[in-house]
Amino acid sequence: MCGIIGYNGTKSPLSVVATGLKNLEYRGYDSAGIALSDGGIEVYKQEGEIDDLELPESTDAACGIGHTRWSTHGEPTDANAHPHTDCPGRIAVVHNGIIENYDALKDDLSDHEFTSETDTEVIPHLLEEVYDGEDLVGAVQAVAPRLEGSYAFAVTAADSDGMVAARMDSPLVVGHGEDGNFVASDVTAFLEHTREVSYLEDGDVVSVTADGVTVHDAEGTADRPVQTVDWEADAAEKGGYDHYMLKEIHEQPRSLRQTLSGRVDAVDGDVDLDLDMPEQYLQSVTEIQIVACGTSYHAGLYAKQLVEDLANVRASVHVASEYEFNGGRDPWRTLVLAVTQSGETADTLSAMREAARAGARTLAVTNTVGSTAAREADDVVYIRAGPEIGVAATKTFAAQVTTLSLLSVFLGRERGRLSADEASELLENARGLPGAIQQILDVEDDIKGVAEEYVDGDAFFFIGRKLGCPVALEGALKLKEISYAHAEGFAAGELKHGTLALVTPDTPVLAVLTEGATPQATLNNVKEVESRGAPVIGVSSYDPAEKYLDAAFEVPDLGRLEPLLANIYLQLFAYHVAKLKGRSIDKPRNLAKSVTVE
Amino acid sequence: MKAVVLAAGEGQRLEPLTNLRPKPMVPIANQPLLEYVIDSVSDAGIDEILLVVGYKRERIQTYFGDGHRWGVDIEYAVQEKQLGTGHAVLQAEDHVDDEFLVLNGDRIITADLVEQLVEKRRDTAETVMAATRADDPSEYGVVTLDGDRVTGITEKPRATTAPSDIVNAGVYAFDQSVFDAIRDINPDPTGELALTAAIERHLDDEPVRAVRYRGLWVDVSYLWDVTAVTAQVLDELDDPIQNGVADEGAQVADDVRTGSDTRVGANATVRRGSALGNNVTVGANAVLSNVVAFDDATIGDGAVLNDCIVAENATVGPNTTVPGGPADVVVDGTCCESVDLGAVVGDNASVGGGSVLVGGTVIGDGATVQDGVTVSGRVPTDAEVRRG
Repeated sequence: MCGIIGYNGTKSPLSVVATGLKNLEYRGYDSAGIALSDGGIEVYKQEGEIDDLELPESTDAACGIGHTRWSTHGEPTDANAHPHTDCPGRIAVVHNGIIENYDALKDDLSDHEFTSETDTEVIPHLLEEVYDGEDLVGAVQAVAPRLEGSYAFAVTAADSDGMVAARMDSPLVVGHGEDGNFVASDVTAFLEHTREVSYLEDGDVVSVTADGVTVHDAEGTADRPVQTVDWEADAAEKGGYDHYMLKEIHEQPRSLRQTLSGRVDAVDGDVDLDLDMPEQYLQSVTEIQIVACGTSYHAGLYAKQLVEDLANVRASVHVASEYEFNGGRDPWRTLVLAVTQSGETADTLSAMREAARAGARTLAVTNTVGSTAAREADDVVYIRAGPEIGVAATKTFAAQVTTLSLLSVFLGRERGRLSADEASELLENARGLPGAIQQILDVEDDIKGVAEEYVDGDAFFFIGRKLGCPVALEGALKLKEISYAHAEGFAAGELKHGTLALVTPDTPVLAVLTEGATPQATLNNVKEVESRGAPVIGVSSYDPAEKYLDAAFEVPDLGRLEPLLANIYLQLFAYHVAKLKGRSIDKPRNLAKSVTVE
Repeated sequence: MKAVVLAAGEGQRLEPLTNLRPKPMVPIANQPLLEYVIDSVSDAGIDEILLVVGYKRERIQTYFGDGHRWGVDIEYAVQEKQLGTGHAVLQAEDHVDDEFLVLNGDRIITADLVEQLVEKRRDTAETVMAATRADDPSEYGVVTLDGDRVTGITEKPRATTAPSDIVNAGVYAFDQSVFDAIRDINPDPTGELALTAAIERHLDDEPVRAVRYRGLWVDVSYLWDVTAVTAQVLDELDDPIQNGVADEGAQVADDVRTGSDTRVGANATVRRGSALGNNVTVGANAVLSNVVAFDDATIGDGAVLNDCIVAENATVGPNTTVPGGPADVVVDGTCCESVDLGAVVGDNASVGGGSVLVGGTVIGDGATVQDGVTVSGRVPTDAEVRRG
């Protein structure tokens, strides 16, 4: 997982590329670098965060490419940082992805001098072999077919006008600006300069100069439509908050209004998701498979129960990296939902492709318009959460669960398994989400107080049943990824089958005790841990639980969506624990926002 | 020139609306008060704004972000304790250059005022303040003038002794010297540093110029101002935006403003002077006159509401009646007589079906009123009212 950006135009490429890298920092940040071309190639790169990168005061260069790295091949060192160059230092390359056959290619390049341990470095050396000093596009077109694996890379050469980029299975977008043109891994890299973008397809090679953009595919020049991105650049700024994560937690009422907007008719019990799937097909489906990773996987676990309940069809959830289409399933009657915030998660994409190869219909549930998942799936539903910069997913989890809830109602209605009245009830609850979440945000200080009290716990256990179980898992994931505290989530009933041995007076237990999470049963587990002396923090709408809780957070009434509200408390708890521990909340160690490697 | 907008205050007189949001975030015709200020500053060609925030600042930060949507750059300075307007201005010291404007974040003004102020500052290079006519000068700082020079400021004079009806509009142009002037004054008996006290002290040796302003200048001090000012603003908008949908037979007057995903049920009527925020539901056959509904509010079938505020995420049950009309309302221990306030239903509060809210009823945030109850007066936050 890395981020790349390239710019050619009338502004200083140094500052445009450096700011672009800052914007892409969420994609990785263990080393960074920039190459400028102005007759020669100047490279500035080093290990460490982008802010630490030593750059010249100014430059005359018209073209620059940059890279922020999250190590896969080779340690984060100055030498392994991108850009990489050929032997004479006339060609510079930045790359996101993995070149799987780089060992074999390196053998073919035995007379070249390699200076890093990266897979990427084969690209400039391969280009050196074929580049005649004029036709950089031709050189890239000659080299690209030799590369196996995934890539989005950008190249600039000492004597070339502009830069050339290529993509295969890694994201790459082109930005068309008034003061020059861009390529980048993600639109956030250049959103302050232009919103006019076009998305490249696999196999495309694009030539970008200050004046224009030309896309080449196997057939010749290709036309990739220019689209306007409606994301606001302000979403990439912290707006007075200490961390993006807290800002994004507070954005949830607003982002969920976007998620719901225009899709819900609570009076008639209808949902409109703008899907093209024929009713007969949806009626014939015998299984919904959900493939996802991390937080999206937890959203999938939530959705599985809603789908089975509301649409009366078997549903299964698969960790994408473990997914296989097997078990004698009928691909014609299996619908596969790929849930990925970025739409670029490599594991999820490869599971989705596996399902498509088997002949199943695929539906992407993503936040990112134009992402690979959105383009490759048979159909797509956007969660409309707006850009999320904090590495820990917060508002996108809420938006995923909400979108998947609407999808469950839609499926139930199309399949004739859900009455309009039942549908109305859940849709009324969905409509109540923004207000209910705001109610929780309004008592943030209480949660902060509880975080202060329990911050020094040896470990934290999160328990919940039914819809409360995925929320327990998500609550634990949030806490561990940003606070580095040991945290585990469990189905509440599982605690006594092993983990209870770890429970002590110094291991706070967080319990989800809401509607949709059979709180009366979970209350027994609360008593279990209490008798071992563990303090219990309850996130509850179940009054009888109150007297057993050391701290209680009240969840507003919202039916089956109450566990989703409980999750807001757990997000704030994780945030405040991490803050008290002084962690790097927006950029936890070893993690990157969207994981584009398998 | 950067504009410093003071938005840290709580606005206790607007309780319960200000229990969960600062006063600048109270919506008027679906826009927070502060947004009118930001729009005017931006329209006057100023693109750098410093918001001094404090009380419930997350609400402001989440709404305005970095200002991109308004075409301005917004930065934030935090006033941890609300110790007066002078203290609030001090928080800006590290963020401004030599010249800057200061505005209150809770008064509706026009871009014209901002332009006048900037122009006067450019011409005179002296401290400039705006003065405007007010109906009730005893609520404000009354300004005495000699030509365009300010000769005195009398804070909240008794109505009978007010030297004139020209008041301080709360909009200024300063340079860095104001910070020392503020530090020179002593806190007033309540421990606050008032900006006007700092200005007044130097009137004799350092001239303060006034610009006379005759445009829109609206303060929202009391709950009934929310409905009245909403009606006034809607009246001035040429064609209010109606993003909501109206079901069959529903009538929504032309000057009503409705937000996204708001729905007015079958045969319901929404009369002039009303504003419905985002994601608001109005039930079938409901009749609303001069009703301000904040985001996520729900108004049940057949409810009849007059001169009413239904705050965020609040629910008014079916067939609930608010007759409206002049009522006596107690604010901060003072009884205000004959004000046009039907009822206020606080944030997240819920009023059961078939209830009657007598004129001037104020239901606290999070409170619950059971079905079929007649309520009057003030219901505290989170209280429960049953039929007895």
